[in-house]
Amino acid sequence: MTDVDQKRKVVIVPCSGIGKTYGSVSREAAYNVTEDLRPDNTRLIALSKLVLGEDEARSVVAGNPAITIDGCKLACATKMVQESGGIIAQDYAVLEVYRRYKQFKPLGIVKLNEGGVQLAQALANEIVRVVDELTTGKGEDSNG
Amino acid sequence: MTDYLELRVDKFIFKVIADRLYSEEGLWAMQEDRHVRIGISDYLQQRSGDVAFAEIKPEGTELTVGDEIAVIETIKVNISLTSPIAGKIIEVNPMMGTSPDVINRDPYGTGWLAMIDITGNEPSLMHLLEARAYYSKIKLEAEQEINKK
Repeated sequence: MTDVDQKRKVVIVPCSGIGKTYGSVSREAAYNVTEDLRPDNTRLIALSKLVLGEDEARSVVAGNPAITIDGCKLACATKMVQESGGIIAQDYAVLEVYRRYKQFKPLGIVKLNEGGVQLAQALANEIVRVVDELTTGKGEDSNG
Repeated sequence: MTDYLELRVDKFIFKVIADRLYSEEGLWAMQEDRHVRIGISDYLQQRSGDVAFAEIKPEGTELTVGDEIAVIETIKVNISLTSPIAGKIIEVNPMMGTSPDVINRDPYGTGWLAMIDITGNEPSLMHLLEARAYYSKIKLEAEQEINKK
């Protein structure tokens, strides 16, 4: 295991709702954060692994601060992280995020429209600030 | 104690509160002296999904029956709601601007949309459905939809 692997990471757990626009936004935002914006400080955990009780996924969630992104009010991501023994640093609901960015109306499922992509980016930028607070003790601009 | 008619369809339970009138579209109207409070039925809110935004016509707007009174954007659809009565909007629920999801949480209570002054338009309530009639309408509608599956 490398030093990077051993470093405490922020776990990102998005909604697994396939075929739902808001679920797609949650996953797109999670990919933006974990693959592009803060790949070294975050780790994506698929909700399905927690639902199935996979040991490694549960262990990662239990040992790191988590940010959950729920696509609907069932809040499956948040509930499963809690059930897996994780501590939620911040939970997001896509609908509430959309209310803050009304100009980005999400549509589409397999392929999000421009509004959906922009909403996911806006959400990702919010998440990055939380990640930075958790990993460095201070929030930073996502581009800086 | 408030009485409800309860419609169970598949995994859903729809409540129709008994103390008010309903439009075919699914808006409820409850008379309070010279004013009528307007809101969305539990059936309509559940069918429409979680509300993202609710834009109600502003106070002072004069309405005739069938005029657009609100546009509701949910995670599923955008719906234009028409006024079930004639009159003038004298109050808009302030929560519609800040927490429109109250429509989903409490459609017959704090999730009301607007208060309308019906002075001079009293007969405009007569075309609305009693709770039992509205219940029968949505029961038929829901059962037809289930049978399509």
